[in-house]
This record gives sequence, C-alpha cells and structure tokens, in this order.
Amino acid sequence: MNSVSPAIEQAYQLLRAEAQQKTEILKEKPVILLGTATCGRAAGAMSVLAAFQDEIAKHQLDVVLRETGCMGHCYAEPLAAIFKKGFPPLYYGSLDEGKARRLVNDYLVNDDPCYEFAMVALEPNDFFPTFDDYPRGIYEKRIILADCGLIDPEDIDHYLARDGYSALAKALTSDPAWLIEEIKTSKLRGRGGAGFPTGIKWEACKNAHGAPKYVICNADEGDPGAFVDRALLESNPHQLLEGLAIAAYAVGAKQCYIYVRSEYPLAIKRLKTALEQSTARGLLGQNVLDSGFNLEIRLFQGSGAFVCGEETALITSIEGHAGIPNHRPPYPATAGLHGKPTVINNVKTLSYIPHIIRNGASWFTSIGTPNSPGTAVFALAGKVVSTGLAEVPMGTSLRHLIYDVGNGIKDDKKFKAVQIGGPSGGCLPESSLDLTIDFDSLQQAGAMMGSGGMVVLDEDDCMVEIARFFLDFTQKESCGKCTFCRLGTKQMLDILTGITEGRGREQDIDLLWDLAEDIKLGSLCGLGKTSPNPVLTTIRYFRPEYEAHIREGRCPALMCKSLISYHIEPDLCSKLCNVCIGSCPVEAIYTRPDMLKGIYPDKCVKCNSCMVACPPQYKAVVKLSPPAPESPVGERGSEVEQANNPDH
Amino acid sequence: MSKLITLIIDDKQVEAKEGERLLWVALDNGIYIPHLCDLRMARRTVASCRLCFVEIEGLPNPVTSCTQTVSEGMVVRTRSPRVDRLLRTGFELLLSNHRLHCAKCAKNKRCELQKIAKERGLKLKLTRLRQLVKEAQIDESPGVFCYDSSKCVLCGRCIWADQEQVKVGAIGFIRRGIGRKVATFEDGLLADSICTQCEACVKICPVGAFYLKEDERKPYKIKKEC
Amino acid sequence: MDPSADEQELIRAAVGTVLQDLGIERASLIPILQGVQNRLGYLPSLAMRQVAEALQLPEVEVFGVGTFYNQFRLNPPGKHQIKVCMGTACHMMGGHIILESFERRLSILEGETTPDREYSLERVACVGCCALAPVVVVDDNVEARVSPIRVDGILLTFDIERQQEERQEKREEGREP
Repeated sequence: MNSVSPAIEQAYQLLRAEAQQKTEILKEKPVILLGTATCGRAAGAMSVLAAFQDEIAKHQLDVVLRETGCMGHCYAEPLAAIFKKGFPPLYYGSLDEGKARRLVNDYLVNDDPCYEFAMVALEPNDFFPTFDDYPRGIYEKRIILADCGLIDPEDIDHYLARDGYSALAKALTSDPAWLIEEIKTSKLRGRGGAGFPTGIKWEACKNAHGAPKYVICNADEGDPGAFVDRALLESNPHQLLEGLAIAAYAVGAKQCYIYVRSEYPLAIKRLKTALEQSTARGLLGQNVLDSGFNLEIRLFQGSGAFVCGEETALITSIEGHAGIPNHRPPYPATAGLHGKPTVINNVKTLSYIPHIIRNGASWFTSIGTPNSPGTAVFALAGKVVSTGLAEVPMGTSLRHLIYDVGNGIKDDKKFKAVQIGGPSGGCLPESSLDLTIDFDSLQQAGAMMGSGGMVVLDEDDCMVEIARFFLDFTQKESCGKCTFCRLGTKQMLDILTGITEGRGREQDIDLLWDLAEDIKLGSLCGLGKTSPNPVLTTIRYFRPEYEAHIREGRCPALMCKSLISYHIEPDLCSKLCNVCIGSCPVEAIYTRPDMLKGIYPDKCVKCNSCMVACPPQYKAVVKLSPPAPESPVGERGSEVEQANNPDH
Repeated sequence: MSKLITLIIDDKQVEAKEGERLLWVALDNGIYIPHLCDLRMARRTVASCRLCFVEIEGLPNPVTSCTQTVSEGMVVRTRSPRVDRLLRTGFELLLSNHRLHCAKCAKNKRCELQKIAKERGLKLKLTRLRQLVKEAQIDESPGVFCYDSSKCVLCGRCIWADQEQVKVGAIGFIRRGIGRKVATFEDGLLADSICTQCEACVKICPVGAFYLKEDERKPYKIKKEC
Repeated sequence: MDPSADEQELIRAAVGTVLQDLGIERASLIPILQGVQNRLGYLPSLAMRQVAEALQLPEVEVFGVGTFYNQFRLNPPGKHQIKVCMGTACHMMGGHIILESFERRLSILEGETTPDREYSLERVACVGCCALAPVVVVDDNVEARVSPIRVDGILLTFDIERQQEERQEKREEGREP
C-alpha cells in the first residue's frame, strides 16, 4: 500500500497543476461570476446573464463570464462578483438588465467600478468595505459555504485549483482506520437532524459483516423552509463528491448513491456534470488517482416524498418500493441497502469531510462548542431582512444570528418567534433568543437542528396557524404505515383547523398536548416521532394565542382568515384615491356615496391585496378580529351608486 | 444458536429460545399483549399497528414487543401507566377511522378490536377523538366474500397472505398517509382483478374488513339484483 | 376511457424504450416510472401494466408505488404546469393566498387540470427558494415574490400567447387554400 502513495500524490499534483494553469490564464482578464442557482434564477439572473453577454459582445470585450452557484445572500439576488486588475473584487447585488449593461460600459470599458451598485468587497482594500466591516462578517465563519458562488460548479478546474480533491489524495494514501479515527476525534455530528456522531456511524459500518458496503448521500432535503443542501449541490458539488469518496474509502464501499429530490432539477444537472468531469479526470470510477481504489457514484432521483429523508424509507425507496420506513434496529450501518452495511450521511455532513481531512480534527474541534464542534449552516427565511444562507460557529446565539447576520426583522416589525428545523422542529419565542445554537441546546428547548431551516416570524404571524401548517404538511407527507402518525397527525390537524376556524373547544389544548406526547412516543419513525414538536412548542410558549382563538374567536396576529374581516377606515381613506378598487381581484370594494371606499364582507376573499395596495400615507385598510358584524345594508352605497356600477 | 433462556414477564418466569420475539413468547405463555399487524410466520415484522407496547427494565421508553427479541434475564411488564396510555390512544385512533357498528358486523364477537377492548377494559366508542371514517365502501364483487375498506385497520395481514402465502398478488397498499388503503390495481373491484377468491385474506383479517357473505346478518343485508 | 390504438402504440413504444435503457431489475422501478412519465407526461394504466409484466411484479405493486409518490401523475397534465410552493416561508409570506388566487382564476382546485387541458395546478412542498417567497414554478421557470396581481399577469401572458398562436394558425390556414 505504501509503495503506491507517491503515485497517488503525483497523479493529484499533476491534475491540480493543470487546473491552476488554466485558471491562472483566466485571471489575466476581467472575470464576472454571476450567481445562477435556483434562487438567483427566480430573481431574474438569466436575463441579467443575457444582458451581460449581449453588452460584452457589443463591445467585443475579452471578459470571462461564468455562471456560479449561490453566494448565500438571497436577499440581494441576482448577485455578481466582478474581478478586474487594479480594482478590489466587488459583489454587486440586486442586479437587473440595466445595471448589468452599465457595469460593462462603465466598469469594464471605462474603469468606473460603479461603487453605488456595489454591495461589499471580497478582499480588504482602501476603497470599499468588506463583510468584516459589518456585524455579519464578525459572526459568520464559512467552511462549507466558503467557495459557494466563487467557483464555477460546472468546471472541475475551479475546484481543483483551490486544492480541491487534495483531501481525497491524502485519504487514499492513509489507512481507512486512521480516517475513521480522525473523524471520530473531530466529533463531527450528522447535520441531517439528530446529530449522531459521524465517525461512530462509519466505524459501525466498517466493522459490520457483509459485502458489498454502501455509502448513501441523503440529499432529499424536504424540510419546507430549508435550502442549504440545494445551495451546496448547485454551488459546490465537487466538495460533496470528495467527501463521499473519502467516506466510501474509509468504510470500504465501492458503490455510492446520492439520493436527490426531484424538486431540485438544477442541482441534479450540476451534480451530473460534476460526476462526469471527476470521472473523466480519474478522481472517481476505476482506479481512483492510480490508487487501485474503485468507486462508482450513482444518482437516484426522489419522486416527491418527504418521508424518504428518513433513512430506512430512503433505502426502501432506492430498492424500488414506496418509501415506507422500517423499525430500527437493525440500523442501516449493519443492515441497510439490500440488507448490507450502509452509511447514510447528509450533504452538509459529507461536505465537511474534505475540510477535516485537509486541516485536521483539532482544527475542527477548535471551532464551535465542545459537544457540537464546527459550524452550523442555516437557511434564513421569513420576516428577516437578510434572507439567505448563513454559516456560523456552533454556540452562536440566536440573537446574533437573527439580528447581526440576518440584520433584524423586516419593516421594523416586532420579533415573535423563530421556527427552527421545519416540521420536526419547533417555534422558539423571544425569551429563547439568547440560547446558543448547538444540537443539544435546541433539542432541550423543544426544537431541533433539522436540516437548517430557520424561518423568522413576526407579530403578524399566528402561532396556531403555523402549527396547523406543519401538521398539514406532516399529515400529507405521512407514509400512512403506523397508527400514531397516520391517524394521530390527522386528528391533531383537525383540532388545529377547528381552532383556526373558530370552532375550537376548551378541552382542545389539553387533548392536543396529550395526543402530541403519545404520538412522539408511539410512532414508528422519526417523521412521526418529531411531528408533534411544532404543536408542543407553540402550546408551551404561546398558549395565550390558542386561548384567544378558542375563547374569544380572536386571532391576535390577525392571520386566521375565518377570524378576521377587512375594513376601510373612513377617517383615513381618501376620496381621491382608487388604488384599492383596482387591486381587488374579486370586485369586493365599492365607492360610497361620499366617494370614500368600502368593502363588501360577503364578497371579500381576504387576499390582503387592498391592504398592500393602500398607499402608506393613508393606511386606511384595517383587519379586525374577531370579525366585525356585517355592515348594515345602508352602508353599501346608495341605489344611485350601484346603478352607476356596470357590474350591478 | 437457539439457546434456551429465561426471562420474567409480569412476575412470571418464562423460558424461551434466545432471539425469539417477545410478543410471541408472551402469547405462548398465556400472557396477552394486544396486537394486530404481526404474524408469527411472516419473515419480517412490520411494527405498524403500534399496540403491543411493553416496558422492559433498563429501557427508558416502552417498546413494541413484536420487534423486541428476548434475552437472558430480561424483565418485562405488559402493563404500566405509560403502556396503558399508549394503547388507549392507539386503540382510539384506530377506532376513529373504523366504521363502528359491531352489532351488525359480520365479524361480531370474532373481532380483534373487540378482544382488545375486552382484555384492556376499553370502550368501543369514541369519546375524545373525532370520527374520521367515511361511509361504507363495500366491494361485494367476489362470490362468497366482501371487502369493506371502511373497517380496515391497515394491519397488512391480508396483503401478506395474498402475496407471500398464496402468491397471487391481487392486493397491495396504495396511496399514502390518511389515503393509504388495501386495494387492487387501480383500486378496482376484486372480481375484476387477478384475485382467485381463495379466501386467504378473509381467514387472516382480524377485523370486519374481509368477511364471508354468509356471516352477514340476514335482516340488514340489502340484496341488489340487476 | 381507454386509449385509442394509436395512443396504445405510443405508450408501448415509450415503455419499451425506457425498459431497454434501464433494465428490468426491481431496484429500477422508480427510475423506470420516472422515465415513462418523462416521455408521456403521466403514467397510463397500460404503461403500469407493461412495467409490472416486464419486472415480474404484481400490477398492484407498481400502482402502489405510482400512487405513493407526489411526483407521479395518473392523468395527463395540462399544457402549462403551475406549481405553487407551500413551504414554510412561502406559506407565511402568503403562499396560500397565491394558491387560492390560481384556484379562483382557473376555477379548479389544486391537483386538477382545467377542462381545456391548458393548465394544471399543483402544490409543491418546497422548491428551496425560501428567501424569495412566495414562489410559484410555472412550467420550468421560478417566479419570485408572487402577488395575487402577478397571478393574473402570469395567466394573461399565456392567454395572449395562445391568442397570438391561434391568430397565426388562422392566418396560415387562410393562406393555404
């Protein structure tokens, strides 16, 4: 084995040198990196791309324009980084076609970097602030997100040039037992949810009897509200492939699967390209880096079932069945795919592996907390200003994450709760903001790390409704196998729906609590066992909101449609403004004889359009809860007015 | 391999082969544990009905006895406040989706749900939960038996009998969640499927989902002839 | 409704090609069904029977898998597929209002197709664009920060497109004779 190691190193050095040479040439020219991950595309990145291309062609410029992944700053999409000699590399956010054309004209042609569009500089310089000059830079520490958005995910040379696959080269020259020991020492915990130590999982699989062994990457990111895995797959697929290859070598597997959900078409496309490229370079496939190690990685597309994120369901799904979980034990590490020892790791977990092997276990444990080392990656969404991805060391407080990294709550509203961990997680109130994030602290508070979804809720969000939303989700996604999950979630959903629709009964809260506890204990798999968490945490922290719904028929957040009504305040409304009438999709707004506006409560579908449309200087549309009694008929405008209305 | 071991179930010393499943060891020794989905002869436990919980000394939470293998010195309690509470909730959940009309049911007095209710002092009536079940959906197409999916508890025994025992493959689970159902291809009539009407499903069904027409009480049977 | 002889031929050919590409192992069942749906837009009864026969599985087993996963459709989809994201962020930012707007405008419920087969409306768990909520996937494009007004805009664009096409066709027809 030792005699081959120089060959491996040599083979790798050769590949990297080639890649560096290619990317070095590019650095001579101006480079535009445009984020075209799904989120960027949704914000219009493809038309920005076309504008760049068109303008560059018009000026016949020699510019490198590359599509990259997600830089994590979704609030500022579409986003581009521009590198030009003599200027600091800069991020430009909220681009549109016009800005793209100006950047080419003013900056690339005429040397004016358009600082007015620039968001932040990527390197310290004398002209423009970097992230380190903002609170965000102080609290964020990027490991697995570091290269996202800065490398072309469809060009392996970018990854190789930044020492990519060096950890694989190192691993192949090492003893698998050492690798497992190193991961165990790093105390890396699985980022898929419960935080099981990765090294112990690998060891169990390696020591288990049976061949062949398998490694599966769980990329079935189904949490509604989490998109970390999608961003990683779309932005840096090689980081994952390298981690997967190291895992396979360590446990003695020759075949790997990546189980990706079909809702991520771009991630699938970029993964396929990455697989082809790394196989072509001899980094995967037969005789990896001349080491004699063979590895096949297959992509398996999910078909739309949240439960397949549960590892035993994922296995049955790959075997060609409906994704129905099985009782554990046996754990997959001893009897998994086709009954053989199988390691299942999440995308994030595997993405850490190359960094740990390259920098050492002690480097990893120096970050984060003693029991949860490393960083945590969150997908910030909801009512927070800077939505997007954030990677912070474990042990960072929720307050720093939401207020410093996420820049606080939108529109100066009041923070109410933060939902962590999706349908398996819980809602934590303001009093939990100083909680430091790690696997154990979140679990104690009733939430869960889950796959990193973090949805911030403000005063306009109803906690009963959010619990109902999650139960609706788990109920729809329950596989239906076991009694507690199939029928228990349905019962809880029906009770919650009743409460949000004003049909709640006094005993419902206690019944929900009892059911929740029993479902937690009685369900077969993780999906069922964690499904009551949203209910338990909202009752625990927001019980008065439940009581307001049940006892007063009132939704304190003015969200539950059955318990609110829309009105136009005559004192605030203007005779000169008709915006609300145009905004209403169902013609429920009418002009009163005095030219002020009113709403027909029976026609109103409570879509909130008028409230959004009403100009800020009036703010005349109000929501009332409990709903005000039907307005007297006389108020609906006179006969004359109705006759003038062509619709009557 | 099949070493004899001793364990204690409800203060009773019991002998069993090592590795045997606790549920069947208890039943063989005359100790009743409620259960619906498990079959002694099936290769694999499905653990889906979630009724056979027991407490085992040293384990923090109740476990399903169908998935638990016995070992030397194990101390088991089939009743405890937690086990009883789980059983009650699980049982009520099943009842909430089971069309209850025992008096008119073809399986009256031979129904596992009735047995569980009797053994554990539970009511065959919903008190806490809401009734979820829709109206009767009876497939009367086979010659001598019927299939009423509104009584099915989704234990899956009939599918095992159909696919593993008689190897026909006419029925299986379709859809998911609350929509999960035992059905034929495209949810059609049994008589239109490859069903051989061997009645294996009728013999194995613990409730009144699959039943013989002759067991149905005459006065309530409405004959459709056209 | 049984498919016509032509349709049957089409289905047989499509399933045949997919089976040739992916083999007839049990573990290939899901990729096979995905392949069939990619070609035909849905899983016709005949196709499921054919797959079951090739893989030597009970037909109901294939039907069970086909009805378990969200992605599989048993009926032909509309020309334009509208998927409203119902992830947490989208829901809290008004995704349900968007879904209702589509339901109202198209006079169908989620999971249905308009009678003229122009649109089908679905809900999707999460497309991972939570930061741009609420999100709608129209055919393959992701629309960000959708409002009820934008819903009208999306449908109007398709209507105009269709009218143009129809006019174009009429003009061509007029020219030919």
